[in-house]
Amino acid sequence: MNCRQAYRFICDHLDERIASPRCRAIRKHIACCPRCREYLESVKTTVRLYQTAPGPKLPHALHRDLMKSLDTALQPAARKAPRRARR
Amino acid sequence: MRLADQTDQQLIRAARKGDRQAFTALVNRYEETVYRFSFKMCRDPEKAKETLQDTFISVYRKLKTFDGKSKFSTWLYTIVTNNCLMKLRRRKIQELEDPLEVYDDPPGDDGSMRRAPIARWEETPADLLLVKELRSALDTAINKLPVDYRVVFVLRDVEGKSTEETARILHLSVEATKSRLRRARAFLRDQLHPYMVAQRETS
Repeated sequence: MNCRQAYRFICDHLDERIASPRCRAIRKHIACCPRCREYLESVKTTVRLYQTAPGPKLPHALHRDLMKSLDTALQPAARKAPRRARR
Repeated sequence: MRLADQTDQQLIRAARKGDRQAFTALVNRYEETVYRFSFKMCRDPEKAKETLQDTFISVYRKLKTFDGKSKFSTWLYTIVTNNCLMKLRRRKIQELEDPLEVYDDPPGDDGSMRRAPIARWEETPADLLLVKELRSALDTAINKLPVDYRVVFVLRDVEGKSTEETARILHLSVEATKSRLRRARAFLRDQLHPYMVAQRETS
């Protein structure tokens, strides 16, 4: 088991509990290797920061605009392009 | 039964028959999700607004083609994702010239493989997210991530979809999804590395 194999495992699975013998061996390597452990922690922190970063709330004005645009776009007249009058 | 209490399937059936109120109830149920996802992908309020509107117009027009084999939310994510990708590709955002194959290898301390070597990151309590600089570092990093990788990261790690559902939404194989996710995680980690290490040194 080496750091390269552990690296793949870290970025593929983070700390998912996978029971295969290979995954157990990789987890054992990570437990003993400070370098891999630090790396695992930093990748986990990266994912956690993005997960917990607050997303924007839908502004009420946008909800209103959405309803208005749907009304316009989905009216039968809007769905069917009007024919041009022949001369 | 109130419309808000009906299942997605009940609302879809009614909306397909032309019931606009049932469709509005579906919009009310999912507009927040669609907007938040669009914003996280496009990183731009105007693009997120356009994507929100385009997505629900597409949903209404394509509702008859929804076969119910997958969850409605999976189908909806497919539509919103396509809309986001079309907008982002049209905008030609600044992307890395090189693909991210380099992130299949671990970083080296000597910088020979790529930058951002291993070093201990400062502990990051949740309230650190309130720090403007960190939010800016997160934004800058994800903006640099090519959109085909960003979409996998946002669906899988931010929205919490399973690898299989992410693959279905993007019409990718599970293996390709895993490979993009691995590279995206490693890329973002390396992008944040200088900021996190500087945090440690100044604290």
